[in-house]
Amino acid sequence: MSVYALIPLLPFAAALALALFGTRLEGKGHRLVIPAIAASFLLSIGAFLDVSANGAIEIHLYRLLESGRLEIDAGLFLDRLTVVVLLLVTGVSTIVQVYAARYMVGDARHSRFFALTALFTGAMTVLVMSSNLLLTFMFWEVMGLCSYLLISHYAERPAAAQAATKVFLVNAVADLGLFLGIILIFTTFETLSIPEILAQARSGTEIPTSTVTLLTLCIFVGAMGKSAQVPTHAWLPLAMEAPTPVSALIHAATMVNAGPFLLVRLSPVIVLSGPAMAVIACVGAVTALFAALVSLTQTDVKRTLAYSTISQLGFMTFLCGVGAFVAAIFHLLAHGFFKAFFFLSTGNALAGTHRRLGLAEEETDGSASGLFAWALVLSALPPLVVFSGAYQGLWLSQGFGAASAALWVVGLGTVFATAMVLFRAFTTVFRHGVSGVGPGGRVAPAPFSPRHLVGIAVMAGFAIALLLVVWRWFADFLSTAVGGMPVQQSVGPSSWVLVPLAVAGLGWVVAYARRDRGSSRPVPAWQKRLYVFFLNRGYFEEMYEVFIARPTLAAARWMWQRIDRGIIDRLVESTGALSLGVARGLGAIDIAVDHQVTSVGTGSVGIARWLGRIIDTAAISRTVDSLGRSVDASGYAARRIEPRTLQHSLLVVVLTLIAALGFFYWIAR
Amino acid sequence: MSSLFSDHLLSLMIAVPFLGMVAVAFVRGRFWVLSTTLATTVVNLVLALVVWMKFDLSEQGMQFVERVEWMPTFGIQYAVGVDGISLLLVLLTTILPPLCVLGSWDSITTRLKAFMMLILLVEGAMLVVFTALDAFLFFMLWEVTMIPMYFMIVLWGGPERVAAGMKYVIYSLTGSLLLLVGILGLSLQAGTFDILALAEHDYSPDSQFWIFLALFLGFAIKLPMLPFHTWLPDAHSEAPTAGSVLLAGVLLKMGGYGLIRLGLPIFPEVAIQFAPVLLWLSVAAILYGGYMALAQSDLKRLVAYSSVSHMGFVTLGIFSFNNEGLEGAILQMMTHGLTTGAMFLIVGQLYDRTHSREMADYGGLYQRMPRFVGILSLFAVASFGLPATSNFIGEFLILVGVSYRSFVFVVLAMGGIVLGAAYMLWMLQRVALGKARTEAARNLTDIGLREVLTLAPLVVAVLGIGLYPSPLLEAMDASVSYVVERVASAQIAP
Repeated sequence: MSVYALIPLLPFAAALALALFGTRLEGKGHRLVIPAIAASFLLSIGAFLDVSANGAIEIHLYRLLESGRLEIDAGLFLDRLTVVVLLLVTGVSTIVQVYAARYMVGDARHSRFFALTALFTGAMTVLVMSSNLLLTFMFWEVMGLCSYLLISHYAERPAAAQAATKVFLVNAVADLGLFLGIILIFTTFETLSIPEILAQARSGTEIPTSTVTLLTLCIFVGAMGKSAQVPTHAWLPLAMEAPTPVSALIHAATMVNAGPFLLVRLSPVIVLSGPAMAVIACVGAVTALFAALVSLTQTDVKRTLAYSTISQLGFMTFLCGVGAFVAAIFHLLAHGFFKAFFFLSTGNALAGTHRRLGLAEEETDGSASGLFAWALVLSALPPLVVFSGAYQGLWLSQGFGAASAALWVVGLGTVFATAMVLFRAFTTVFRHGVSGVGPGGRVAPAPFSPRHLVGIAVMAGFAIALLLVVWRWFADFLSTAVGGMPVQQSVGPSSWVLVPLAVAGLGWVVAYARRDRGSSRPVPAWQKRLYVFFLNRGYFEEMYEVFIARPTLAAARWMWQRIDRGIIDRLVESTGALSLGVARGLGAIDIAVDHQVTSVGTGSVGIARWLGRIIDTAAISRTVDSLGRSVDASGYAARRIEPRTLQHSLLVVVLTLIAALGFFYWIAR
Repeated sequence: MSSLFSDHLLSLMIAVPFLGMVAVAFVRGRFWVLSTTLATTVVNLVLALVVWMKFDLSEQGMQFVERVEWMPTFGIQYAVGVDGISLLLVLLTTILPPLCVLGSWDSITTRLKAFMMLILLVEGAMLVVFTALDAFLFFMLWEVTMIPMYFMIVLWGGPERVAAGMKYVIYSLTGSLLLLVGILGLSLQAGTFDILALAEHDYSPDSQFWIFLALFLGFAIKLPMLPFHTWLPDAHSEAPTAGSVLLAGVLLKMGGYGLIRLGLPIFPEVAIQFAPVLLWLSVAAILYGGYMALAQSDLKRLVAYSSVSHMGFVTLGIFSFNNEGLEGAILQMMTHGLTTGAMFLIVGQLYDRTHSREMADYGGLYQRMPRFVGILSLFAVASFGLPATSNFIGEFLILVGVSYRSFVFVVLAMGGIVLGAAYMLWMLQRVALGKARTEAARNLTDIGLREVLTLAPLVVAVLGIGLYPSPLLEAMDASVSYVVERVASAQIAP
């Protein structure tokens, strides 16, 4: 047992305390949860320093189960990858909880909210730290459950209730892929311990490529579900039904990050299979582009944000697919911090309720230009890292030629779209207020002043420089912990860095130029069609409904009516009718038997009465009043037993049974 | 004294419910009837825990064995003993009755005394079934369990109780007759009713198939396996709460227990031969039960059909013939007893308030009944095997076990888990979330202390087993290995 076991245990303890004494602590839940998670964060910092100085730590907790060939230990495994992600998870969670303490004031289900968010965070930390895939999977699902319960927080809204069910089901289907993958890993590696699996994969043990491909793809299906990759992406926008702090948690700290994390965690296994890597890259690329395009067409700010997250996740997945695992994690961290920041700074406006709509113009000057700079950097970030030199040889050495072109197209496409989306999201939230509900109706977008633009440019430049420096260190720090492409440190910053930056700037400019263009201009039909397609989010939700949900339900009802009732049950009922006829025939005998039973019953009542009287006299002779009264009561009870009541017959049955047993025992001697 | 206690521990445990019945018959007053029954069941639970504490984990065979000649002319003994397999089921059998008593504290208004006596009778009979080492004793008490259940359904049941009770009896009797034929077939050849001796005997090859078939059908109806399941939804939904809990929680497990105790060790060859068919049937039951549950609008029926699905997992594990599968199956039997028992108790609490089992009559319960909804959510997700709850461990072991045979079964069985998630969450959505749809649902009161106490032990057990199943797995490991070795030896020497 190590002190690092407290990182998940503290939030769990807080959640448990709130679950048990929630009503007594109503409205005070945050006072318990914030210190717990903040302490976890401090411990994570400790773990980070410890691991970076002394190398990976393995902590054995207890033997989870042992059966046949299965031997599974619950334990924690902290290496460089773990501690970095742990910092993000606990750090962002702490900030979100502090924010939530204010946001949730007066909520009717205050305790429940904080108990669940603490559990949510705790589950994510176990998932990150687990040394065993089964434990990982267990908390992977616990996290799914938390998201379900948190999305249905405003349960009186039918939309929230439906969204929660849908989100969980989409995840449940995908998670089975992971479950299957874990069983496959066990049959292949004969262990579920993560360090052992990684060691086996690194040692170059002969494993058939087809097996690795299959199990990697199974695990990837699970990662797809949690990280909202096409076609399981539709849950993330639905999850926006949750209170804003939960969205911040899901998008930044927990939940969606589990997918890329798992891929990176198992990267030494994944790189053994080229085909699986190709599939991962393709799914990631499609997700990144599709979601970026959808997010451009959405009118709802929340949905836009959700699709922008999906797009970023797609890019992370894509990076995993091409072997740039370190870059994927770097992107994950940067995106996590950014999204948390974004949600929290816009949360009140997004809630769109009685709180202030947007920030006042004078307030936006400082904080908003910082945000704008971040937005610009974020949109350009992934390719920035990839093209900054470290991964220059990526597309050539990967062995499939199309990857080069794909990397460029996907990377820059995403950059362009993200830049536009973020620009629009910011202007909508900060400069208009939520459209249509602002004080005095819709406010015309205010153009940027030159002072603004310079400020943004300076801050963006500064941020990029900082990022590049951090990246240098980060790549060095993490490259030993993950598989995949070696990061080439010798190559200096390349001039390619400018390309994604330029594209991001272009996207921004285009968005700015089109900011208030009306729809009066005629548009070609194909463009319209494309627009409608993306506006409806590719009709994925409708397809789930029409092709999966409704047919399943219809089939279930049909089977129940036609097969279960119509065929199987009818067969039995006809047998029943038959035996009823036979029974009527035997009715006469039955009556006779009944008569006999009744007379036995009456007889034993006599015995019972007699017994009661005996006890009574014995009691009176003892003359202890209280004792006598209670025994008298029991005697009275026996006397009151009337013939032919059920308990009476039962008594007879038992007495007869005991007598019979004694009788047989006596004979047997 | 201590030797008398420890030498006759099992007999004592078995005797307690029967003695309790007699005591209850003489007690007067509603409160005293209830508390006498409760005390009896709690004493029984304590005795079962003592058995568990004293149980030797390394021993493969039977422990605490007691043998007394009963009808020596027929070779019939009163013989009881426990091994790791029966131990878990004994524990399950003693955990649920106290909760049943608590659960029917207010809801049984007529003939309370008789009802309590029936609970004790079922418990006692069940304990004998799970500890019997004599096939005749096993069969006799197997029959005895049927009778109280019939009365529970017919006297305290819902509106369709008479038909449901009838169906239950017809099915059960058919099953028991086949079982009787099977047991007689065994003992005629072996010349004994001793279960351990029966397993050692070599039966004539022609008869093996028929005896196995008779036994198997007897167990399959009780379990129930796919085409024999239609008694279950009716009986479960019409029975009073305690009846449903005992029926789903413990009675069904007699089928699975019988298969492991009599089916596999006695006829390993036939079992191996039929395993592919039975595995397919199990998978079909998992999916079919899930589909049926999805179509239900009645809460109790939904839980009942989910039992069909879960029992499919049990047979899937049993017929994968390895430690993982069998241990998973036994654990699944136990955890299904806990979660389904809890589900029926929960539905019962709702039914007590509104006298409706229709999901359409509820909605928005979270507002008036937050505690209730919290516990309901936990058991709903535990029931479809959410990881970190007890059912997951069972399902995981079963799936690993069956994966050694074929991955097709794993994939299909996982479909059942998704269906499970679908019907349970949809149920939650309709019952607990949204807005209240009827006046009755709008004026509900949350569950009180007694109702919380009824469910709290199950909450602890479900989460405890989910996070730390080792003690239970250790307890049955040696005994399961024995069964697995027997089957394996038959596989090697055909």
